Amino acid sequence: MLGVARRILRRTDLAEEALQEALVLVWRKAHQFDESRGNARGWLYTILRNRCLTMLRNEDREVPVAPEDLDTPPDDVMLETAFDRLGHASDLRRCLERLDGESRRAILATYVLGYSHGEIAGRLDAPLGSVKSRVRRGLMKLRECLS
Amino acid sequence: MTDRSLDILIDEVVLGLASEADVARLEALAAQDPDVAARVEQARRRFAPLDDTAEELPVPAGLWDRIARALDAPQDDAARPARDNTVVDLATMRRHLNRWRVGASAAIAASLVLAGLLGWTMTRSVDPLVVAVLQDESGAVIALVESNADNTTSVTLLERPGVPPDQVMQVWTKPDDDGLPVSLGLLPTARSSVLMVDGLPAPHSDQLYEITFEPAGGSPTNLPTGPILGKGLAKEPVS
Repeated sequence: MLGVARRILRRTDLAEEALQEALVLVWRKAHQFDESRGNARGWLYTILRNRCLTMLRNEDREVPVAPEDLDTPPDDVMLETAFDRLGHASDLRRCLERLDGESRRAILATYVLGYSHGEIAGRLDAPLGSVKSRVRRGLMKLRECLS
Repeated sequence: MTDRSLDILIDEVVLGLASEADVARLEALAAQDPDVAARVEQARRRFAPLDDTAEELPVPAGLWDRIARALDAPQDDAARPARDNTVVDLATMRRHLNRWRVGASAAIAASLVLAGLLGWTMTRSVDPLVVAVLQDESGAVIALVESNADNTTSVTLLERPGVPPDQVMQVWTKPDDDGLPVSLGLLPTARSSVLMVDGLPAPHSDQLYEITFEPAGGSPTNLPTGPILGKGLAKEPVS
């Protein structure tokens, strides 16, 4: 779980903080967990990811941008690693492979690295509106392929 | 809302692209409509394999201590669930919290937090007779083992183990401190699970539990042969 947090927050200390806060939340929200609606593992990761995204997007927090402060490899390396580690038999991998490269990277970057639409637009140097529709088209294709 | 726009909303919430307002909107929809909730869960599962692609990192020393302190700190009222409609749940929570305050040691604190985690994965009416926190060589907590009087043993993995190819994890215990280890079963899918074994005496305090890597199908000698992923001694929960 710590690895998931560190990919998003880029720093081990922040990731540990997120994990700790997420587990406290999990403990306090345990009574809300409804087994009939999903598995506990998914619920845990959802709480952890939400906690990370809140930390990432909360402007009061200092999130470093200087490369020497980061505990993770460059973003494109992390994305490639994540994609490579998806099992070869995995449906998600097969369907991501069918997308064009930009859409695949955009979707992976949102889930794996916690990118917002704005960050993808910045990286691609593309207008926000077209990034949003590109991601939506990608998601619809993924959905068709996976269903 | 059309089906298509609901699909997009769900995907954007799962990916983390949605605004807070959209997340709240979807949560409200899912709370009212089991069909929407099922679709959200399905979407989460589609992307869940990506969670497994993250680096495995050891849990930092002192994490459980810090969680313990955070849980002991008073909550603000907004976060506290309303008493009226959650009487049973609150009672359970209080019992756990009280136990924990008595316990005070890091190991017990860890077990209780983890017992909470485990609580959702299995519906259990009886408290475990013994609980063991398994640690690797460096002292990192890797699994929680809870066993009942009939040796029904639930194993909750807390770190994704790097199981070598063609190997499985096998869970062992030593019912007799001076005797040989006895297999409780395999974790072939490298996931947390519940194991059952007949013919062993009820587990006791300080009983050894360990997980080793063994060839597919389990140890050929019926004794541990592979490297130890983690081990720990059982303790009886404070009641």
